[in-house]
Parts: sequence; C-alpha cells; structure tokens
Amino acid sequence: MLSSTPWKRWLLLAIAVVLVAIYLFPLYWMYVTALKTNTETFANPPTLWPHHAELKVTRVWNDMGMGSFIQNSLVIACGTVTLVVLFGTGCAYGLARVRSVWMDVALFLVLMLQVLPASLMVTPIFVAFSQLGLLSWPRTGTILATAANKLPLYIVLVRAAFTQVPRELEEAALVDGNSRIGAFLSISVPLARNGILVSAILIFLQALGEYVYSRSLITDRAYQPATVGLQFFVGPNASDWTGIMTFAAIYVTPILIIFVLLQRRIVSGLTSGALK
Amino acid sequence: MTLQIELAGIQKYYGGYHALRGIDIAIPKGQFVALVGPSGCGKSTLLRTIAGLETITSGAIRIKGEDITRQPPRLRDIAMVFQSYALYPHMTVEKNLTYSLRLKGVPKAEARRKAEEIAEITGLGQLLDRYPRELSGGQRQRVAMGRAIIRNPKAFLFDEPLSNLDAALRVHMRAEVRKLHNSLGATSVYVTHDQIEAMTMADHVVVMRAGVIEQQGAPLDLYDRPVNRFVAGFIGSPAMNFIDGIVTEAGDRVRLTLPGDPIVSFAGHRPAGEAVTVGLRPEHLNVVSETQTGNTLRLPVSLVEQTGSMTYVVTETEPMLTIAANMSRAILTAKSIDVQIDPGHVYLFDRTSEAALQSL
Repeated sequence: MLSSTPWKRWLLLAIAVVLVAIYLFPLYWMYVTALKTNTETFANPPTLWPHHAELKVTRVWNDMGMGSFIQNSLVIACGTVTLVVLFGTGCAYGLARVRSVWMDVALFLVLMLQVLPASLMVTPIFVAFSQLGLLSWPRTGTILATAANKLPLYIVLVRAAFTQVPRELEEAALVDGNSRIGAFLSISVPLARNGILVSAILIFLQALGEYVYSRSLITDRAYQPATVGLQFFVGPNASDWTGIMTFAAIYVTPILIIFVLLQRRIVSGLTSGALK
Repeated sequence: MTLQIELAGIQKYYGGYHALRGIDIAIPKGQFVALVGPSGCGKSTLLRTIAGLETITSGAIRIKGEDITRQPPRLRDIAMVFQSYALYPHMTVEKNLTYSLRLKGVPKAEARRKAEEIAEITGLGQLLDRYPRELSGGQRQRVAMGRAIIRNPKAFLFDEPLSNLDAALRVHMRAEVRKLHNSLGATSVYVTHDQIEAMTMADHVVVMRAGVIEQQGAPLDLYDRPVNRFVAGFIGSPAMNFIDGIVTEAGDRVRLTLPGDPIVSFAGHRPAGEAVTVGLRPEHLNVVSETQTGNTLRLPVSLVEQTGSMTYVVTETEPMLTIAANMSRAILTAKSIDVQIDPGHVYLFDRTSEAALQSL
C-alpha cells in the first residue's frame, strides 16, 4: 500500500534505498576490490573507490587455469538441470494432477527433502558413492547428488505452474484423439513452459553456486568447479584478495547478467502460483 | 433403427458416493438428446463417461453396437464441446480447429482447407490466424463447436456450452446449434441445467436427479405427463404450483389447503380421503371474471410481474401460487383474482412417494 502523504512516501523510499545499498554492498565491494592493487586492498582507512584501477582478468584467468574450472562448473550445472528437468517435470505434473491422500503424503515428503541441507547429506552420500564406485566419475557423482538436492525445489515450483493449466484442456486433447502422454507434451508442457523455464534457470544458477558436494566428492583438480577453485587462493599466510575478487567477479558477472535480463520473467514465474 | 449410442445399466461410484445409479439410455442416429437436472445430479458425470473421461464401475457403453466401455477417449471417435470451451490458448484458431486432424496425420494443405471450410460454416472466416485470447465469448464458442464439427465424429457431446454467453446470444446460439445438428445429421448429447434449453432443442429429454433418471421422453410428453412431482416441477416455466389437498367423498374432487378450503374437481377418480399434492401449472390457471362459476378460485394478489407479453400474478396465500395471465391493465390494480381450472389440467401426486397418481 502506498501512503497518501508525500513525505511518508519519500521516507519509505529512503529506507528502501538504504536497505538495498546494504544488501548490494558485498557485490560492490567485490568489484571494487577486484580493481584495486594489492597494497590498496590493505590501506587503512579503506578506499571506497580504487585510485589506480587495474584489470587483472587475463592474469587471473591464466594463472588459475580458470578455463577448466568454468568448464567443470558448466558441465555440473548443465548436467544437474538436465536431470532435474527430466525427472522433476513428470513428477510435478503427477503431483499437480492426481489428487489423493498418497499424493499429499508424497508432496509432504518432497517438501521435507527440501529442508535437509547438503552438508547433512554429504557424508552418507560420500559413503554410498564410494561403495558404488561412483567416486571414479566424480563429476557424474556430483551431478547426481546436486540434482537430488535441487529436485524438491524444482518439483514444488513446477507443480504450481501445472496446477494453473486447466484440466479441461487436456481432456479436450484426449477427446480430440491424443494419448495421455501426448496431451501432456503438446498441451500441458507448452502452457507451463514459463514456470518450467524459470525454475530450470533457478536450478542452473543454484547448481553453478554449489560447493559442498563438489568439494567433498571431487578430489582431482582437473574436475573441480569454480566454486572449489576459488579457495586455492586462500593460503595459510598470504591471501591475494584482489585475485580472489577478480576470480569471483569473472564467475558471478555472467550469472548476474542472466538474472537481470530474465528478472521480470523470474519474478512473474515465481508468483504465478500465488496470484491468479 | 440403428442405435448410435447405447448406455446400459451404468453404475458409477466415487469411493462410497453413488454418482450414477443404473442409467439406461438408447439414442438412435440423428437424435438430439438433452440431459437435464439440478446441479450435482450426475448429468455431467454421465456425459464424461460417454466421452471416456470417467470410468464406470459397471454397465456398458456401446457406440454403433461396438462395446467401448473400456476404451480410452481417443479410440471412441466422439467430439466434445466443453463449458469453458477448453480452447488451446497457445494455438491459433486454425491450429485449434485442426488439432485432431494433425493427430490423425492429415496433410497440412488438406487440414488448412478443412479449417477454412469449417470457418465458413461457423462464421469464423477472418479469424483463423487469431489466438483464442483475442476472440469474444461468442467467437470462442464457435471455435469450440468448429473443433468438434471438423472431425465428423460418431457423436457430439455438449457440456453446458451456452452457459457462459449473455442471454440474447444464448437464445441465438440455441437455434444455431440445433440447425447445425440437423444439417450434419449428427447424433448429439447435450447437458444443461436450463430446462428451456432442453425443451426447445432436444428430441428426447432425460431428467436426472441424484444419479437417477427420473423420466425420459419427448419434451411435450414430459410436460403433459410427468411421472412424479420432481419432473412436474422441473419442466415448465414458471414452475408448477403445488398445493396439499384431500380427495373428497365423491372421489372426483379435491379439497385444497388454501384459505376458505376451496374444492376443485379433476378428471377421473381417486379413493375418498386420500392425501395428495395437487399440481397446477401457472398457464393452466385461467383468469376469469367474478361472475363466472364452476371450478373457480378467488385468490388474493400479492405481486404482479409484467414481462410485456405475459403477466405473472403471485398470490398472497400459503403456499404462494403463480398465475400466468395475458396482459390486462385491470390485473395491475386488482386486490384479488378469480381463476378457473380445467379438470383435465389438474395433476395429482402421492404426498409421500411423490409419484403421479393415475385416475382410477
């Protein structure tokens, strides 16, 4: 609700701006530190704007072998999204369409899974994977674990999208001569595509930021994603903060761009279940 | 006469709820059948079982003699028009119309030609490339009809297709649907809660209540010879008046529980002292002048409703009665009204079983 008096609106706006500034400060600090020289990083009082800005993108990229890290991150994220979309879409559809006590139980269990944090699950998963011999394919193992971890969120979001598709449309398709699976693919999926797309992008972004499973399951540096690679900067004695921030900036900027471009769709996709 | 659709002994349970109880309907080719009843009576469920969208617990559904009870909807070759039209929102009108043809693998050019042909019939000529959201309610309704017609199916099912249209358009579409049915030589099953739609459109009306067929037959048969109080009250507009009464000593008259205990005679005989419910249709209560005698009632007026052609008088009695009178200025100011009743138009129902009573 917007207040009627103008000064109240300005006050609210000011509060909003301050809150946003606090929220975005770490992001700003990341970019600013990435541009500073190493000495300026430790200057006291700290400078809010770099005096001698220098771009270290190519140096950090080459020194750290970021190409391999980014590639691994993308492999893991893409693999996770593929698995999640493949398994989650059908599951979400089933949960949206069939109404019975058992479906409610299933939905409850799915929601419960979402509560379990990755760090809690990683030890049993590590033991299970090691016994199955999955640790010889560490990226596959990480994809499996991450997909299992992200699946509940995807299912819940996409289920909301499917409940918005009127059942009569599928029934019309059935009467028109389509099979159940045909009606699902040619009617329900296209109509829920916004929700599916947005949820898939969210899962992709989350999988890019995944750390716990990659850190635990992947020991070979050649297979590690960028989130794990970042910590090689932090040694016991010296820390190359400006290098870390450059690394982070390289990693985060594309994600930010995707998010900003799709921001409107993501927000509308997330609330589509709530409002008619 | 070959039967196009045959429903035999259909039972349907939803868990413990008995939704359809022994439904038998035989529909010859080319007939227009209306399923009518109050909401929750099972008429839509019955329609959906014919389409194959609901399974039945027991009984058989035959189309052209072939048992299709266990077949999925796509193998039944039946078209359905939904109440909400159920147009595919992500497809153009043309794609909506030709969806079933494309599934059958009809070549693109031929599908397009057929769509144009159907658009011509249904008056959608210029709209083939529009999306459903860009159409008005009436146009959407036509697309839904067109989508059914294009397939040339064995039967058409309509699930209250006109209920989302405004009153004037509904009357217009009523005639149009019926004309279309005739020109296609189609077999149609039409679900509605509006008895006027059922009466005006159908060859055969099936009145349902609580999962049971109360009566089925030609529209005027239901109007003239209702088998029970429910059908009598449901068919006809405004609805039939019901008054409790006791058959008199002579057995051919009934004493009504109205002020002054008036006695009216009816055609035929019933046992003396029998407790009955008397049914009088508003249009069978003839307004007469005071001086006339013989089977007349004097009733106090509480309300007069004018529609222009007809005037409905509501009486200040318990139970309250409705009388359909021809337009007359005198009625508007009258304190009371005299009506005459033709003994042949007095319906008697058993007070407990509500079944219509035959004269002895």
